[in-house]
Amino acid sequence: MTDALRGTPSALASTPSPGSAPPDGGPAPAALRATGIVKAFGGTRAVDDVDLTLAPGEVRGLLGPNGAGKTTLLRSLFGLVTPDAGTIELLGRRQVAGDRPVLEGVAGFVEDPRFYPYLTARANLEVLALFDGGAAAPPIDAVLHRVGLGGRADDRVSGYSTGMRQRLGIAAALLRAPSLLLLDEPTSGLDPAGARDVAELVRSLSAAGVAVLLSSHQIGEVGSICDAFTVLSRGRVVWDGTAAQLRDQAPVSAFELATTDDGAARRLATEHPHVEILDGPDGRMRLTGAQAAVDAFVVALGREDVAVRRLELVMSPLEAMFFTLTEQPPLELEPP
Amino acid sequence: MTSATAQVTRGDATPGRRRARPGPRIRDIQRAERRKLTAQLSTRLLALVCALGPLAFAGLLSLQNGVPADTLFGVWVHSSGYAVSLVVLGFSGSWGFPVIAGVLAGDVFSGEDRHGTWKTVLTRSALRRDVYAGKVLAAAELAVGLVALAAVSSTVGGLAFTGDQPLVGLSGTMLSPGHSLELVALSWAASVLPTLAFVALALLFSLATRNGIAGAVGPVIVALVMALLDLIGNGTWVHAALVGSAFSDWHGLFAAPPFLQPLLVGSLVSVVWTAGGLALCARMLGRRDFAGAGAPRAARWTRAGALVVIAVAAIGLLAAGTQLGPTTITTRRLQASLTPTFNRLAPVQQRELGRRVPVGTRLRIQPTCLRRGGGAAGPGDDWTCTLDVFIPQAGIEPFQQTPVTYDMSVQANGCYKATSPPSFVGQQLMRDTHGHEVVNPLYTIYGCFETDG
Ligand SMILES: Nc1ncnc2c1ncn2[C@@H]1O[C@H](COP(=O)(O)OP(=O)(O)O)[C@@H](O)[C@H]1O
Ligand SMILES: [Mg+2]
Repeated sequence: MTDALRGTPSALASTPSPGSAPPDGGPAPAALRATGIVKAFGGTRAVDDVDLTLAPGEVRGLLGPNGAGKTTLLRSLFGLVTPDAGTIELLGRRQVAGDRPVLEGVAGFVEDPRFYPYLTARANLEVLALFDGGAAAPPIDAVLHRVGLGGRADDRVSGYSTGMRQRLGIAAALLRAPSLLLLDEPTSGLDPAGARDVAELVRSLSAAGVAVLLSSHQIGEVGSICDAFTVLSRGRVVWDGTAAQLRDQAPVSAFELATTDDGAARRLATEHPHVEILDGPDGRMRLTGAQAAVDAFVVALGREDVAVRRLELVMSPLEAMFFTLTEQPPLELEPP
Repeated sequence: MTSATAQVTRGDATPGRRRARPGPRIRDIQRAERRKLTAQLSTRLLALVCALGPLAFAGLLSLQNGVPADTLFGVWVHSSGYAVSLVVLGFSGSWGFPVIAGVLAGDVFSGEDRHGTWKTVLTRSALRRDVYAGKVLAAAELAVGLVALAAVSSTVGGLAFTGDQPLVGLSGTMLSPGHSLELVALSWAASVLPTLAFVALALLFSLATRNGIAGAVGPVIVALVMALLDLIGNGTWVHAALVGSAFSDWHGLFAAPPFLQPLLVGSLVSVVWTAGGLALCARMLGRRDFAGAGAPRAARWTRAGALVVIAVAAIGLLAAGTQLGPTTITTRRLQASLTPTFNRLAPVQQRELGRRVPVGTRLRIQPTCLRRGGGAAGPGDDWTCTLDVFIPQAGIEPFQQTPVTYDMSVQANGCYKATSPPSFVGQQLMRDTHGHEVVNPLYTIYGCFETDG
C-alpha cells in the first residue's frame, strides 16, 4: 500500500460531491444526517436514539467499546437492517420511510470485508463494479494498486489473509468513487504500516471533499486523523464534538512510573493534589494527572532524592477520556 | 501519484451525463450473477453432465441390447434416434430437471450467506430488488441453457448412434423423421417452464434455509413427493396442480390427433408456481435484516421443526386431495385409446414380417379393460386389457376370433405401457424380411389419451 497511498491529493477530488455544491448557493447539505436512529435486537437496544451528522470533507471517528452499537449503526445507514425508528439522509437524499436507501455515492463496509473466495481479487472487483453500474468501468488495476494489492490481483481471494481482505475492502469502496465513506474498524487486521496507509488515504480523500466515518474501539487507531468524534456506549451517544473539544476536556494522561524508592514516591503523591498514583494491573505504579502537574511531581521527586528510572506514557488524554466516557476503568485495559 | 491512480474517476460522474435513474441496470447485475454462477464448480459440472451425459447414454445404449422399456418410447431406442432423445427427456422429467434446478439455483442466495457477501453486494449502488431480479434472471437463463444443452446432446447422440428413422408415435402412427425432430424439439422446449418453476423452488429453499445443500436437495425432494402423489388418487385437480407432472405433458404432441390441453395447463401451472415462488422470495428478501450473526441455534431448530410439520401436513392434505375433481383414468378412455393404436400397429407388424396387408385394412376389435384389484378407474399397474380381435379369413366363418391380453401400466396423466405375453403377438424382437432383428411393435405398446376427453 506504501507509495500509492501516500502524499498527493486523490484523483477522487475531481468527483463532484453531490453534497458540496447546492444549486441554490445555500449552506452545503450534510453528507450524512441521521436522527433518532433506534435498532433493537430482541430486548436489547443495540442503537438507541442516535443522531449523527457529517459535513462534506469531514472525518469523524465513531468510537465505542465492543458491543457499543457501531456496526449496527453502520448497518442501518447502509440499509442492511431496517432501523426501528429514525430518519436517514445520505448525500442530501432523504430516505423514504419503508424503502431502502439509495447508496449511489456511498461506499464502505461493515465488520470484516467479505468477497467471493472462488474469484480472483480482480474478478471480485469486476463483479462488484457491475453492481455499481457497469457502464462506469472504473480502472480496477489503479484501485488495486492504490491499496497495495497490484501484485496479487489475479490470486483467488480464498488465499488472502485478513489484512489483504481488509485492503481489498478499501479497494472495493474506492471503486465507487464515493462522496461518503463509511468504514467499520478499517485498521483491524492491518499491520502498523497498513494502518498508517489507511490514515493517509483517509486524509487525502477528506482533502478531496469526501466525508469519512471511521468506527473504532480504540481511539489510538483513529484519534490522530479525525476532525470530530461521536462516542457510543451501550447504543447511546455519550459524547459528540470536535477533536479540539475532546482534547480540552480530556487533560489527564497516565504514565507508568518506576523509581528508586516507590514508598517515598507514593507518600509524596499524596501531598500533590493534582496527581495520583494507582496500582496498574501488572502491579506497577500508574501516575495520572495533567501534564503540568506530572512535571511538577517529577521535579519534586528529584528534590526528595528519589530518582525516576522509568516514566512512560501508557494512555494519552484522548484514550483516558474515551475510557471514562465509555465507563470502563482505564487502568484495567490493555496498554496501547 | 502514479498516472494509473489519476484515472480513479468515474466516467459518468458529470451530472449532465448521468442516466435518469442512477445506479446499475438489472442487466448488469444479471451479468455479474451469471459470472459468479459460471465460476462455480457445481455449475461447470452440471454443464458437463448436460452436454456429455445424454451423448454417453446414447453411446452406451448402442453397445448393448437392453432397452429402458418402462419409459415412454423406451423399446424404440435401437429403432429411432428420436426415441433416445425422448427417453432422456423422460428421465430428466422425473428427476433430471429438478436436479439441474437445485444444483444450479439452490446456492444462489445461501452462497451469499456462506461467504458472508450479502453485505458486500447490498452496499453497492444496486437496489435490493434489482439484485434480486438479477439473480433470478441469471439462474433462469442458465437453467434454460442447461436444458437446451441436454436437448441438443440427447438428439445428436440419438441421431449419431441410432439414426434418424421414423418414430412410432403414441397412437400407433408412424412419424416421419422431420416431423419427429420437430416434436422432439417442442417437447424439450415444453420442459423449460416447469424447470423454471423448480428453479423458483430452489431459490426459495436457498433463501429460506440459508443452506446450499437444502437449496439443492429441496427441489428434488419436492419432485419426488409429487411423483409419489401422482401414483395415488384418480382426481384431476391436484394432479394437474402439481408442477412435477408438467414435465411429461409433452406426450399429447405424439398422439393422433395430437392434444395440447395438458401442455397448456401444465405451462400455466408452471407459471403459477414460478410466480408464487418468486413472489415469496421477493417478500422474504425485501424484509430481511442483514444483522450479521444469524438467529440463535435454538430458534433455527424450532423454525426447521415447524417447517417439517407444515410440509407433512401439506403432503397429507394433497394426498387426500388427489381424489378431487373429475376422474382421470376410466375404462372407456383406456379402451378407446388402446383399440385404434393396436389397429394401426398390427399392419405395421404384418408388413415387416413380409405379409401383404392392403392399405386401409381395419381389424374388428372388441376391447375389455379392467383392474385386477377391482374397480374400473384410476392409475395403476394392475390393469389388463383383453382385445378380442376378429381376423378376416376364408371359409364358412368369415372371422377368426382371437383374444389378445395386455398387461397395462397406466399413469395418472393418461399414458400407459401395454405389454403382451408372446403367445399371440410374438416375441419382443422379430426378424424382418431382410433377416434383420426388429422391434415387434405389438409386444410393447406405448399410448396416451386425454384424461378429460
Ligand atoms: N444480529 C444480532 N442479533 C442480536 N443481537 C445483536 C445482533 N447484532 C448485534 N447485536 C447486539 O447489538 C449490540 C451492538 O452490537 P454491534 O453493533 O456489533 O457493536 P459494535 O460494532 O460497536 O461492537 C451488541 O450488544 C450485540 O450483541
Ligand atoms: Mg463492530
